[in-house]
Amino acid sequence: MSEILGMFQGLGNGFAIAFTLTNLTFAFIGAVLGTVVGILPGLGPSATISLLLPVSFKIGSPVTSIIMMAGIFYGAMYGGSTTSILVNIPGEAASVVTCIDGYQMARKGRAGPALGIAAIGSFIAGTIGVIGLTFVAPPLAEFALKFGPPEYFALTLLGLLMATMLGEGSIIKGLIMVVMGLLLGSVGLDPISGAIRFTWGLNMLQEGIDFVTLAMGMFGMGEIFINLEKAIKTELVTRKVDHLWPTLKDWADSKWAVIRGSFIGFFIGILPGGGAVISSLVSYAVEKRISKTPEEFGKGAIQGVAGPESANNAAASASFIPLLTLGIPGNAAIAMIFAALLIQGVQPGPFLITEKPDIFWGVVASMYIGNVMLLILNLPMVGLWVQLLRVPYSILAPIIVLFCCVGVYSLRNTVFDIYVMGIFGVIGYIMRKVRLDPGPMILAFVLGPILERAIRQALLISAGSPLIFFTRPISGTLMGFLILFILMQVFITLRRKKADRAS
Amino acid sequence: MKIRILLALVLGVFLSFPAWGMAAEKFPTKAIEVDVPFAAGGSTDVLARLVGKVAPKYFDKPLVVVNKPGGGGITGTESVVRSKPDGYTLYLGQGSGHDLVTPHFQKMPYDPFNDLIPICRLSVHSIVMIIRGDAPYKTLKEFIEWGKKKDQVTASVSTKAGSVDITFQAVGKATGLKIVTVPFRGGAEAVTSIVGGQTDCGGNHPSEIISHIKSKRLIPIAVALENRDSAIPDVPTFRELGYNVVAVGSVKGVAAPKGTPPEVISYLADRFKKVCDDPEFIKSMKDIGQPVMYQGPQDFSKYLKDGFVQFGQMIKEFNIKLE
Amino acid sequence: MRRTAIEKWDRVSGYVLLAIGVITAWSSTSLSMGKASRPGPGFLPFGLALILSILAIALILENRKKGESAAPFWPERTWLRPLLGVAIFLLYAFVLGILGFIPTTFLFLVVWMGAIERIRWFTLLTISIAVTAVLFFIFEYFLEVPLPAGFWS
Repeated sequence: MSEILGMFQGLGNGFAIAFTLTNLTFAFIGAVLGTVVGILPGLGPSATISLLLPVSFKIGSPVTSIIMMAGIFYGAMYGGSTTSILVNIPGEAASVVTCIDGYQMARKGRAGPALGIAAIGSFIAGTIGVIGLTFVAPPLAEFALKFGPPEYFALTLLGLLMATMLGEGSIIKGLIMVVMGLLLGSVGLDPISGAIRFTWGLNMLQEGIDFVTLAMGMFGMGEIFINLEKAIKTELVTRKVDHLWPTLKDWADSKWAVIRGSFIGFFIGILPGGGAVISSLVSYAVEKRISKTPEEFGKGAIQGVAGPESANNAAASASFIPLLTLGIPGNAAIAMIFAALLIQGVQPGPFLITEKPDIFWGVVASMYIGNVMLLILNLPMVGLWVQLLRVPYSILAPIIVLFCCVGVYSLRNTVFDIYVMGIFGVIGYIMRKVRLDPGPMILAFVLGPILERAIRQALLISAGSPLIFFTRPISGTLMGFLILFILMQVFITLRRKKADRAS
Repeated sequence: MKIRILLALVLGVFLSFPAWGMAAEKFPTKAIEVDVPFAAGGSTDVLARLVGKVAPKYFDKPLVVVNKPGGGGITGTESVVRSKPDGYTLYLGQGSGHDLVTPHFQKMPYDPFNDLIPICRLSVHSIVMIIRGDAPYKTLKEFIEWGKKKDQVTASVSTKAGSVDITFQAVGKATGLKIVTVPFRGGAEAVTSIVGGQTDCGGNHPSEIISHIKSKRLIPIAVALENRDSAIPDVPTFRELGYNVVAVGSVKGVAAPKGTPPEVISYLADRFKKVCDDPEFIKSMKDIGQPVMYQGPQDFSKYLKDGFVQFGQMIKEFNIKLE
Repeated sequence: MRRTAIEKWDRVSGYVLLAIGVITAWSSTSLSMGKASRPGPGFLPFGLALILSILAIALILENRKKGESAAPFWPERTWLRPLLGVAIFLLYAFVLGILGFIPTTFLFLVVWMGAIERIRWFTLLTISIAVTAVLFFIFEYFLEVPLPAGFWS
């Protein structure tokens, strides 16, 4: 009881700190920067935060610096969905799933509701995430520590399975895409053995293919090339935009998706490395499975946007938990914040909450405020974005191409990456022509390396015995769930075939 | 007589041209780029940024940290090697795994000793063996007893064939334990793994584990260094415990490409020394577990070569191979 | 009707994918395979390539019936505009290193909008200048990304 009182006290203190003019200003700056960075292709939140590190020294106060950087991080999560919905280009891996139904909604003139529900969902999810962070952070972090290679393997496998289900069309094509994605993911340095795979001597490929390059190429450029076939002189969206905001019906349809997505995102997102992507996948699969109209998914079902978008924002909040409670960064952007803290003399870890409660609670409080700020920032912009779609596609297309080129170039300052993006653009174009869906491919590309590392690490730990996946409690549960899932799928497919044959 | 004076004057003028050149553009005239061949947020990156933070007090122009990760450190280092040797592009991290260990196993795209001029050493990140705080063993001796009864003992390491991996293979051979090293993507992932108990022990640098040592989640049981590491002074060396596993660990120094003028090198060495003497810098470094250990160009150059040879000896003595 | 039309395309895709699978499998043999209990770097790619080949064969077999009346891949010369797009794009990447960002981007916009979309000169030029300027300012100044400078560096 006294613990909970202590939390409220700390939180109250935190709000007092977060509401100072300086901290509010920097929270706002962070939110704006983050949104911009999330929308612009290429540069991600971790790169931006690293650019701002010297600035954070000048600010002087660690609380203020983190408030700003945290703002950038989850601001980017809000912004990432914008390009996914408008032009089918995912800003980062966690936004790929949003592209599926989000872009379809935009094509049907429902970009406004899509963007709106993404913003609202993100706000609710982010807030739930911060509430979770406030109250269950330490025990949850301990639980997350128990996730070792076998658990990651099981979880990623689950994610991959769900990715196969995403695509429309035959199962065979879906599986082919997943396999191709896995193969693409193995290009580059193999961290377990140190061997370099499939680079044909090209130094630039040693680190593997970058997600951004692949996504911009296959999704962005591929879409543009195929649209060039039809001489689209007018706007991309020919149907009149009916509503700018989500209707009450939209909200009624999505509200549970948002709640479910928030919890899925929060619990899976706490896992370092890949948590956000997997959570968006799981959310999409859950929504599709639970929905009374699953055939709508892939054609513009609003739950297909609401769920995953909430999931990835909750995951963003959750990824702060390992940092603030254990001192373990979960992804590149958080690692940058970790470094920024270290440099300013703050040790993130279990002692942070007791030794520097101001910093801990100040940051947590500002995350609540930040979510509000982002909602206020993003909702009015929906109108702006919808206007953008009214620009004739003949002009919009080359501009999108340029944004992609510069975005990709900004990653490593080399034109090579632009060529790679172009190649994937052509591949994406061809794939669209032959009705192969790039969605599962890119998700497999992201999850594949995690999966392979996990299984090889697990086998090293178990001295080669595959039993480790089943004997460990968490991993065993996940594997059991997985097997049940597959059996269920097989059962359903067989029953459908039987029904088809009977009719 | 007058002609001689005239000749002397003219000669004097000609001879002073180099000084004119230098006086006209004294190094540095613009910001200096410091390349870190590792990802942002890692221990080398933090070191570089700390240096960059204190530098304005002593350098006439700012130091700008740029991350160039890739190829285990080789990509970024190579880019410095190929850059113009005018002192405006420096490599921070000289003495890391890819400088001292990798050349024993692979052909390098550049010569780590001749293509780079060592400027100074900043710190040494030693290799520490750690175990979980709640493990049934508390010292190296107990760990070895426990480990001998098992088929294999797992150790989480940051990179395959890095300095930590190689050192642990040596530990295995020296102690008679069958150590299987499990590589992760960098120190942070490796620490998470040992904290979570996924492996039996781990190998990390003090800066990566200092907060976990404080919270007693991790216990350091031995350090692979000639003498004890001042960051963790209570931890005995492997040698003290009877095992001849000695390595220089991951050294962090600054280097410039071959061909950089000597005046530039001495300016840089001098200023970096001033940074290393700065009390604020010393304290910050101590807090993050990276003790300041300055060495000037000549000493550092020798230290690097000795370290390289030492790794070579360890590899030979314990017959360590890349799988 | 649509299903019949693309069966031939699926068959062709199948053959292409089969080729990819076989080549990948062959090239992964140069990597060490390890054993099932301790997979090496070549293990997964080889296995995946095999699975890909099998799936490709399945795809071919699934579409082996009919398909004579296949829809044309590129009806009515629709290949022209995408080809132009790809060509202009590749030229952009190539010239970027020579002329630097500003001239190349400007030219890219002019050529694209002119050759592919045939937009009126006035609109075309205004937009090209405006977009080039905006992009330059956002990336070079705001985000401090050093854009290629060509031979003027």
